[in-house]
Amino acid sequence: MNIVMTQISKSFGKTEVLHDITLTAREGEILCLLGPSGAGKTTLIRLITGGLRPDTGEITINGRKFPNMEALRSIGFMPQNDAVYSDLSGYDNLLFFGRLFGLSGVELRNKANDALSWVGLEKDKKKLVSQYSGGMKKRLSLAVTLMHNPSILLLDEPTVGIDPVLRKSIWDRFEALRLEGKTIIVSTHVMDEAVRCQRAVLLYEGRMIENDTTGNLLAKTAGGSLEELFFTANKAGDAV
Amino acid sequence: MKGVIIRILRQMGNDRRTLALMIIAPIIILTLLYLLLGESSYIPKILVAKDFPAVLLTELKKQDVEVSFLDEGADADTLLKDKKADAIITTGADGMQIRMLESGNSKAALITTALKNASSAVSPPSSMNLTFIYGKIDSTEFNSLGFVLLGVLSFFFVFIISGISFVRERETGTLERLMATPIRRISVIGGYTVGFGILSAVQSALMILYSRYVLGMEFEGPVWLAVLIMVLLAFTAVSIGAFVSIFANNEFQVMQFIPLVVVPQMFFSGLITLDTLPYGLGNLARFMPIFYGCDGLEKVLIRGYGIGSIWRDLCMLLAFILFFFVLNVLALKKYRKL
Repeated sequence: MNIVMTQISKSFGKTEVLHDITLTAREGEILCLLGPSGAGKTTLIRLITGGLRPDTGEITINGRKFPNMEALRSIGFMPQNDAVYSDLSGYDNLLFFGRLFGLSGVELRNKANDALSWVGLEKDKKKLVSQYSGGMKKRLSLAVTLMHNPSILLLDEPTVGIDPVLRKSIWDRFEALRLEGKTIIVSTHVMDEAVRCQRAVLLYEGRMIENDTTGNLLAKTAGGSLEELFFTANKAGDAV
Repeated sequence: MKGVIIRILRQMGNDRRTLALMIIAPIIILTLLYLLLGESSYIPKILVAKDFPAVLLTELKKQDVEVSFLDEGADADTLLKDKKADAIITTGADGMQIRMLESGNSKAALITTALKNASSAVSPPSSMNLTFIYGKIDSTEFNSLGFVLLGVLSFFFVFIISGISFVRERETGTLERLMATPIRRISVIGGYTVGFGILSAVQSALMILYSRYVLGMEFEGPVWLAVLIMVLLAFTAVSIGAFVSIFANNEFQVMQFIPLVVVPQMFFSGLITLDTLPYGLGNLARFMPIFYGCDGLEKVLIRGYGIGSIWRDLCMLLAFILFFFVLNVLALKKYRKL
């Protein structure tokens, strides 16, 4: 599914958080949103979930104006905070969110178990989430996002607090999902992760400073590191 | 909606402290109020002057009071302040003088009743026998105000828990996640209302049964109708709790709404007779759901009325539920316009 954002602007009060963003996320592509805190990454993701409405511009998913119920069925959203119910078990969290996407019976239970197994929580599935560590909650949140096999993944800093081994496994999974034709938008601070995306968008104070393939962006840097590009972009943004 | 209902019931099942607050706390409070407002075993001490009429003294001694003579020269006020006596009765040219420590306490009521009974026994033609259409003269305060306690308690606990649950849902980001799924706004609010409604139905039934069969509260009307009123009142509490949570940023701020939302309603619940209030203040009760809940409970429990006589209260409670339900569904537009 293709997500097209056209001339999106969003303000909270007098503060403009996003300014004139035009962007396309394509099927079979991981699009990375890069930028410092307050750059507008989370706001952009919340606009695509339908949680916020743009002040100007529009978002379409597969040519149809968003939000609409059909598109919402295709979205797997992982917010920045864990956003799981601490007084439910990990398994019950999955059952709850699965039901909202129309899963039921054996299919629901199987998908919940598969998702738990993939994030390595099958042994702790009956424990209350309040007894989980920060990393376990993050893994559960990811399992909730993926369990209904969405076509679009909106992941707001999905690997924060996750150990390097699991982080690698998660990114391998994202790559596998991409190859299946999913549209994936990931926001991150981690430049190493951006290298694994097909395209990266650099945001600074609500403005889109770069939007290109990671290969092209890397070629723009003398040292061949996206981090360098990020600092250059920051300076350019400040100059603006 | 079914998913939200199951989730709320599971969450409550796992959160034993909250479950205890909903089920055990009202039972404890009812028991405490039963002990505080129930039948008193206190025997008031009355001191009478030496010239107190002998016939009246004989009858007074037959009442549930302890009577003895006041010593010559003793200071009445000092005796009352030192709690050596609850009332001192002297006689003079302008009749009997009864002096007590302070007005408006239950000791004064016991003493007045004893004197009235003694006086009636001395002069039967002048005796006054007070009877009521509803209730009995010797009903305890717990029995007379029981309907208020049931209504207020069922509203109070559900209001707090639903308000806090909704705020928590926003604080932890689960509401944002929920609204990024294809669930309809009406299903979120409906699930909340019914989920907490089921819990409040259990709570109401327990409170009613406990009051009736353990504490011996006198019920004139059908118990199921009282449970129905309490459940509707609890549904209103869920809706108002969820609505109030929109204006609260954290759990502590939900608590700050108690003096604004719950306390004024308690005053208009039947604790004070509304007809006697000045400036037509009693009319304010028409805007308060607890008033309709308690009015319905009073009619059923004290007067023994059936559903035909309380339809107005039931309709008003349903109107409050619907009004706040719609407001809550609209308020969720903040999270998703769709």
